[in-house]
Amino acid sequence: MDEFEDQEIAKLLRLKRYEQPPPGYFENFLHEFHRRQRDELLRQPVWRICLDRAHDFIFRLNLPTLTSYPVAAAAVLICAAVISLQIYQTPEPARFTRDRPALGGFSAAGSADAEWTLASPVATRVFGTQPLRKSNESAYTHRAATPPRYVLDSVPVSYETTFKF
Amino acid sequence: MDQPRTDEDQELVARTQAGDASAFDQLVVKYTPRLYGLIYNMTSNHEDTNDLLQDVFAKAYKAIRGFRGKSSFYTWLHSIGVNMTLNFLKKRGRRFQLSLDDVDASIQNDKEFLEATATSSPVREADLSELQRRLNEAMMKLSDEHRAVVTMFHIQGMPHAEISKILSVSEGTVRSRLFYANRQLQNYLDEFRKNPVA
Amino acid sequence: MRAKLAGVFWVAVTLSFFAGAGLLRAQEQSATTISREVKDVFERAAKAVVKIHAIDPHGELCGTGFFVDPTGTLYTAYSVGGEAENFTIEVKGRKYAARQVLTDIRSGLAMLKVDLATPALPIGKSEELEVATPVVTIGYPLDLPETPNFGMIAGFDRKYLGRYFSTTHLRVNLPAQRGEAGAPLLNLKGEVVGIVVSSLENSSSCYAVPIEAAEKIRSDFVRFGEVRHGWIGANVSEAAAPVEGSRAEITEILDPTPAADSGIKPGDILLQVGKVKVHEPEDVLDASFFLTAGDVVPITVMRGNEKLTLNVQADFHPASKQPPLIASPLSPNRAIPLNLQSAPERTP
Repeated sequence: MDEFEDQEIAKLLRLKRYEQPPPGYFENFLHEFHRRQRDELLRQPVWRICLDRAHDFIFRLNLPTLTSYPVAAAAVLICAAVISLQIYQTPEPARFTRDRPALGGFSAAGSADAEWTLASPVATRVFGTQPLRKSNESAYTHRAATPPRYVLDSVPVSYETTFKF
Repeated sequence: MDQPRTDEDQELVARTQAGDASAFDQLVVKYTPRLYGLIYNMTSNHEDTNDLLQDVFAKAYKAIRGFRGKSSFYTWLHSIGVNMTLNFLKKRGRRFQLSLDDVDASIQNDKEFLEATATSSPVREADLSELQRRLNEAMMKLSDEHRAVVTMFHIQGMPHAEISKILSVSEGTVRSRLFYANRQLQNYLDEFRKNPVA
Repeated sequence: MRAKLAGVFWVAVTLSFFAGAGLLRAQEQSATTISREVKDVFERAAKAVVKIHAIDPHGELCGTGFFVDPTGTLYTAYSVGGEAENFTIEVKGRKYAARQVLTDIRSGLAMLKVDLATPALPIGKSEELEVATPVVTIGYPLDLPETPNFGMIAGFDRKYLGRYFSTTHLRVNLPAQRGEAGAPLLNLKGEVVGIVVSSLENSSSCYAVPIEAAEKIRSDFVRFGEVRHGWIGANVSEAAAPVEGSRAEITEILDPTPAADSGIKPGDILLQVGKVKVHEPEDVLDASFFLTAGDVVPITVMRGNEKLTLNVQADFHPASKQPPLIASPLSPNRAIPLNLQSAPERTP
């Protein structure tokens, strides 16, 4: 079919199909997939789980397509309203304002310029190119801004594979 | 490699969208070996492949409600796989990374392998093994995009048309990338032959 | 008689009471002592620990870092400072611009710089640590202020989840949280002995890169302006039987490499490379990590019954044969490669 078909490269490359993972890998893969799904579910914020369950419920009812979206949307709005009410009724979160004396070496005043509030109880990882949060952003608009990614990897960034030196 | 049957995929996708998680499990079981091969040959690293493969299926599971069947599920899934792998490779950059799988014993029955080692002298087999090693090195020298087309065409056995759909480029682009990559790989092997020191 | 017994009884009770009270007090004192030591470490060290803000292709990120000299040199984890830009450091509510000076993906570390006179943490020795040595971290978890954490060294690991580290890492029994990558690991004298880089799956432990690894890359930077990972060119495997306490056998000498010209031969049992004593093939990871290209390193081997020490000049590690990253004068907040000799081909 192709002029490269008979070339040595093509043959050598095809032999790479035989490079396979250890025995039992594929059998175990699905178990691992389920485990990760469960872990992720446990890490999700409550509002998200609620939304997904509402969504599943609506679709499982097998309502005709035309009517299911408005119903789903209404259910989502009700859930969101309930959750919002609960959250806005919780006490005001802690503020980051320090009254430490000024330190030698820094020509800094003692108190903070920025006000920091705690974001949602379970900080979610967000990807996107958002500009740095302005330091005078009020606590009430924090919901609209994307929180930064707080870094701590679960594996080191690099690793060695051989004992060569 | 044979192309998978897409009619049973449609049924499994429909059931998944209706909320039957076990249908998605069947899709996972069906496509894991194939996707593994694709990602592994792009990354040359078993551990990274495992992580990526888990992420690809996780993403597919989350996104499957939005799948409208404009392409086959096979194409859609592979598209996710290739794109996530390319993003990962860009991020990985030049990290110490080779972690190759062992060659399965069934290679002994492969026609091309038997031809290549026809004289069955130890020298010939060692040559082939060395060539394979050089080929792996050469693959890592290709750009991520070139390695992707080489993997899909030569190793996964996908036709040009399928690759062009997965990568969202024209078939002409697929052919020219393959041509270029093949030439690079051939040059590298030729160079090794001229200077065969370890 | 009864009165005497009663008397003895009450004396015994009273003595026990005081003894118990004394013991309790000793325990309280020791708990108070530890708490006071930790508090002292925190109060002295916190001022040199900063929150780092940066931007990478995924968006804004936050981590932790700390000063190691009075001119604003900062250490952090690579995952915080390695592939990002627009760095600002925040301490006591004030923000200052910082620039990336050096990154080293192999060690998992990055160095930034702020143009300020700064407090600095004294550098300790991770070699002095043992399992159960108490340690403290100070970090900026999530969006909370500087926070101390107390735990102990749980182990010295070469690998995790089947992957080998670039050098032995310290495993610490304290729960580092997101945002604390780059936090200093301190002994109770307040000296830095490690840098927190990752957490374990159970999240109640974390890994720290030993401070010697950071000092290696900083020393390379001071000497050469770049990190210089060294390379000898020998492959090591497990020997059938230990020789002079080592099971690390040289099995292959690569060519052309310094090993090929050094006199080291396959079959030699490796005993020491520079300061690193070798007992098993895994020790070669540390040996390799601390090699500096261009430096002469003494390598001791057993050949038969003969102990030989050969001086070998290390070459550049093949994985770092592309030019290293250094700060570019053009973009002060970002390190760029000088030129890409072995750059991947561009897609035509």
